[in-house]
Amino acid sequence: MKRKTDFLPYALISPLIIFIVLLALTPAVFTTIAAFFKVQPLNPPTHFSGLENFRDILHNTNVISSLGNTFYYIIIGVTLSTVLGIYFAVILQRRFTGRSILIAVLILPWALPGVVEGILWTGIWDANTGVLNSILKSLHLITHYQVFLGQNKLITILAIEVVQVWQITPLSTILVLAVLQNIPDDLYEAATIDGSDGRKAFRHITLPLIRPGIAIAVVQAIIATLNIFDQPYILNGAASTGNSLAMETYAVSFQNLNFGQGYALSLLITLFTLFVSVVVAKFIYKKVEY
Amino acid sequence: MQNAIKISKPKKSIAIVVAVASAFGFASLAAPAKAASPVTISVVLAAPPLPPAMLAEFTKATGITVKWTQLDWDSLQTKIAAAATANTYFADATDVDWSRVGQLGKLNWFLPMEKYLDTKALATDMPQLSSFSKNGHVVGIPYDASFMVTTVNKALFAKAGITKLPTTIDEYTADLKAIKAKKVVQYPLNIPFAAAEGLSTYWYETTGAFGGHILDASGKPLFTDPTSAGYKAAAWMVNAVKTGLVPPGNINVADSQGQQTLMAKGKVATTFSDYSGNVGSLYDVPASSSVVHQVQYLATPGATGPTSNLGNPDGIGIPAKAKNPEAAAKFISWFTDGKNMADFAGANGTARTWVGYFFPSRLSGIAILNKKGSIIGGDVLAGMLKTSAAVFPQGAPAWYPEFSGAVYTNLHAAAAGSMTVDAAIKAIGAVATKLSSGK
Repeated sequence: MKRKTDFLPYALISPLIIFIVLLALTPAVFTTIAAFFKVQPLNPPTHFSGLENFRDILHNTNVISSLGNTFYYIIIGVTLSTVLGIYFAVILQRRFTGRSILIAVLILPWALPGVVEGILWTGIWDANTGVLNSILKSLHLITHYQVFLGQNKLITILAIEVVQVWQITPLSTILVLAVLQNIPDDLYEAATIDGSDGRKAFRHITLPLIRPGIAIAVVQAIIATLNIFDQPYILNGAASTGNSLAMETYAVSFQNLNFGQGYALSLLITLFTLFVSVVVAKFIYKKVEY
Repeated sequence: MQNAIKISKPKKSIAIVVAVASAFGFASLAAPAKAASPVTISVVLAAPPLPPAMLAEFTKATGITVKWTQLDWDSLQTKIAAAATANTYFADATDVDWSRVGQLGKLNWFLPMEKYLDTKALATDMPQLSSFSKNGHVVGIPYDASFMVTTVNKALFAKAGITKLPTTIDEYTADLKAIKAKKVVQYPLNIPFAAAEGLSTYWYETTGAFGGHILDASGKPLFTDPTSAGYKAAAWMVNAVKTGLVPPGNINVADSQGQQTLMAKGKVATTFSDYSGNVGSLYDVPASSSVVHQVQYLATPGATGPTSNLGNPDGIGIPAKAKNPEAAAKFISWFTDGKNMADFAGANGTARTWVGYFFPSRLSGIAILNKKGSIIGGDVLAGMLKTSAAVFPQGAPAWYPEFSGAVYTNLHAAAAGSMTVDAAIKAIGAVATKLSSGK
């Protein structure tokens, strides 16, 4: 008997498909193709240039400098946000008075735009009038106001990344907390009967079972840190002590109006993000059954 | 057995209609909306909307409604570039910054204003109009007369025993040292060394004070020789940090931040390259300043005496893909009218005052303000405006944004101590040479 085609499922998902095709696939395909073309409005015409954009971009000293900085952003940001995310999730898993309020407060930094956070933290890190210098001086820990941003590369990156960690940790916390709440209490009760203390239970029950949540938290942290823009831009300008790959993509594309190289750099960042995300998912993600 | 969701026929129809409608919804987003009648124009600037009363007057007189959108300056430049590159509509009138004139002129992203307005007649009343011309075309019309000025806190200078204000850069430097030596303030000078556009502008103004220019007519650097004004200016600025005249923390202070947190709070005694209008709009405003009536404008101290000030005006133009260029031109004509600009600056009460606006680009507008006595330091500023000079007399080069990026990143690095002044100047010079040679 000939089966009648049911169009309903296709009709229902068509808005989503259109959305993805228009806003994700089309730009991705366009960027991939355009990365192999010389697109410079100030120096026309546009023409196929093979790998020239990639070669030029990898010889750009600002891009190389930003590559190193971005590596530090990723290492510091992913480590801190994941560790803090797990820590906060474990604390919030327990029921206590004011828990809901605490969760709401915790989520606030995640809801704030990066630009706003950058401006807020300028008031903390500022070397002339910053709150941190004021506190340290009033505690007699320093005699003169210190310059946190712009002089030492590692300190600059650490100071900037702290701001981003403050922003992305809430999402890591929520992701881990969601998985944490699925772990049956029976497992902990059985472990307690078997003589396991809290630390052992965390190591042998909690940590293995929240791996799916950790994997997603790590991937989102990698994506966020790899694309960091607002915080270094607001806190440190375009200085080489803190410039990121995303900032260089902006500078190459919209300051230098070299769109071909901008596309090439965007494509490299996308491919790197995909590669790292797949590796992380492969090594950390593990399907768990209770 | 798999669970199946059953939907009855009418619901299926509704779902299909919703899906199709959604698709058309996306299509309508992509397609440009038809112009409403009477005409509505979209004006996008990095500034808050004009006073509603003023806009209503314009609409009543012309039948043109203005839809005003405010964006931050950097985002606005990105959007202008993205829309122009994609050859799509963005706005009917939008920002034309003096530093982008070369780029915009070469790319033909904006319509020539001489086609719509009598720009030759305007030029006599608008000293900074020349900064908006490229290849014989006027790309935009300046709507304010921002230019760089030196500001001094006369109370702090007086505390150091300085009664005669400096007229040369040497006298100015000696006064800074005296203020520091007498411990009137720990750091007397504000230079915003953050790697941002404000640092480039400060260097241009200082180079002018040392009696030189940045680039020659073909765009080649004029600052690589240690005896050149640009080199001396860079060395003077970096040396000011190293000798403790500038707060060490200023390596990460942007221009407006330094004006608000240092100059307006009396933490420094002077800003060599400040914005015209800051005395009235910042330093004399009790809510934002602790130095009310202490700061005054000073004719920029030069190599041998007061020198001209560098123009830094904001302009407005019509993008090539504007839907209503004629209506946009009418708006620009009204927007840059001398009387209206005087009203924006507060000549006729708060209902007609435009928040953040400080100084008309037309001499006739300034004359109205001066007559009413409603602009602080108006006489001094009007005199400075008459002699204000373009940063690049030959017009900003098309590659200016990339050049400026090299200026502020390298000067910042020199101030932070990660490279010498000589290395910074060589790096900036190399970029200028490369860009001007078209490589």
